[in-house]
Amino acid sequence: MPPAVPGRTNRVLLRIAVGTFVLALLVWSWFGTEVSVTHLLSSGPRIADFLDRMLPPDLTWTTIQEAKLAGEVPPPPRPFPPPLRIAATVVGVTLQIALLGTALGMVAALVLGLLGAENLTPHWVHHPIKIALALLRSIPVIILALLFVAALGLGPLPGVLAIAIHSIGMLGKLFAEECETADAGVWEAMDSAGSNWFQKVRYATWPQVAPQVFSLTLFRLDMNLRESAVLGLVGVAGLGLWIENYRRAFDYQSVATMVIVTMLLVLVVDQTSVYIRRRLK
Amino acid sequence: MIRLEYVEVQYGRKPAALSIDELDIKSGERVAIIGPSGAGKSTLLRTIKGYVRPTQGKVEVMGVNFMSARRRDRRRVNRRIGLVYQQFHLVRRLTVLQNVLCGRLGITNRWRSLLGWFSDEDRRVAWSAICEVGLRDQVHQRSDQLSGGEQQRVAVARVLAQQPAIILADEPVSSVDPAWAEDVLELITQVQRRHQATLVMSLHQPNLACRFADRIIGLRKGRVVIDDDAAKVTEAHLKELYRGDASLPFNGATGRPRADQSRTA
Repeated sequence: MPPAVPGRTNRVLLRIAVGTFVLALLVWSWFGTEVSVTHLLSSGPRIADFLDRMLPPDLTWTTIQEAKLAGEVPPPPRPFPPPLRIAATVVGVTLQIALLGTALGMVAALVLGLLGAENLTPHWVHHPIKIALALLRSIPVIILALLFVAALGLGPLPGVLAIAIHSIGMLGKLFAEECETADAGVWEAMDSAGSNWFQKVRYATWPQVAPQVFSLTLFRLDMNLRESAVLGLVGVAGLGLWIENYRRAFDYQSVATMVIVTMLLVLVVDQTSVYIRRRLK
Repeated sequence: MIRLEYVEVQYGRKPAALSIDELDIKSGERVAIIGPSGAGKSTLLRTIKGYVRPTQGKVEVMGVNFMSARRRDRRRVNRRIGLVYQQFHLVRRLTVLQNVLCGRLGITNRWRSLLGWFSDEDRRVAWSAICEVGLRDQVHQRSDQLSGGEQQRVAVARVLAQQPAIILADEPVSSVDPAWAEDVLELITQVQRRHQATLVMSLHQPNLACRFADRIIGLRKGRVVIDDDAAKVTEAHLKELYRGDASLPFNGATGRPRADQSRTA
């Protein structure tokens, strides 16, 4: 008879313990949030009513004044201009906030990512930088924006800063990890030719990480665009701000239009970034 | 050119990886280091390069004592020692020319090089190195599109661009298709002769070592057990050197016909 495989420590108890723990967490969450199926089912009519107020999306373009001047029957009066008008100007702002915030974040993250890579700098440099990056990304974008709106006032600027700072934390960490996986042999080959630190980073590390750096940045841009649309809720200019404005005026048809525009914008950028990232490989 | 005295290299508390009483390599010599795996071949090369700091002893390369020299002097010598690796260590996404220009990084203007700017002289040296290794037609090809043998040629050209006084090659043909191994060694010894550099290479195959080197240094457990002209190394020497290492076929290990070959065949 062949010899028996040496026994392995029994893992059954461990599995039962982990399973129970996860289950307990879920039960705790269920009761904590007071999720109730009956409540959900009984709200059917309310949901239907809500959808009814949202549909169809308001796609008018002419304002009341324009209709009057043209001698047409003016649409019923309302507090804000038609949503498509607003969207036309505001889509740009949302996109600009995302682009600028991502770009600023990427540049800073690149510097911090290189300095924060364990194989590129001594412990006393990369260790504090790693901690700083963790702190930066621990604050959600919307909370950063809330603080910046309080400090700087309404407008796009607080959004740009909030997105940039959060992106530094996220991208910096990913860039550092990317640098750490780069082939050390190339680094040594450059050293062997007499390169200094900057030359080694430029010629050994950079060519190896560049495609990933751009790919990760595009991915981040994608997420930042969504963030940028949400930031309107705390007073940053853009699509979100107008969704909130219409909602406060109970103009749900316009809310629907703005949501659709947001979806379209996100989809277009998402697909473009997917396409570019595929080409980067 | 290279002088080691009572050098001892130790990693942690393990027995010495390298223990050499005296080793002298003169300018222009062509030396092959052979020996079983783990004998200290790479350690010896890296000690000469200055990447491994001996726990004791003296390493003197090009008149500079690594143990006591200032950083600047060590860097100056470091720049004149070119290294060829088993795994080539090319920058995969760069072209042949760009890879070879990397050999100029220690010589060219450092800050300009960060922007990808190299002087006309850098380009001329790189181009002549590329021609010398026979990659004239592939100069703008990405290095990861080349075959293993060609990639090692690029690595050799990169070392040439560095204008080295010493070329160290660490198992330069172990990752190369065996059919191309001789070509690569032919090339390395050719450029070594043409540029009057000192060549120290570690090789896994004793027959190639005897063919391409003038002097053989056999390492076993970190100690020099053979140090002789390639022509004087015999089958018996090699058997003793590789004792207990079953990985090597001994038929014709020195590259010379064996007396008893007819009987074994």
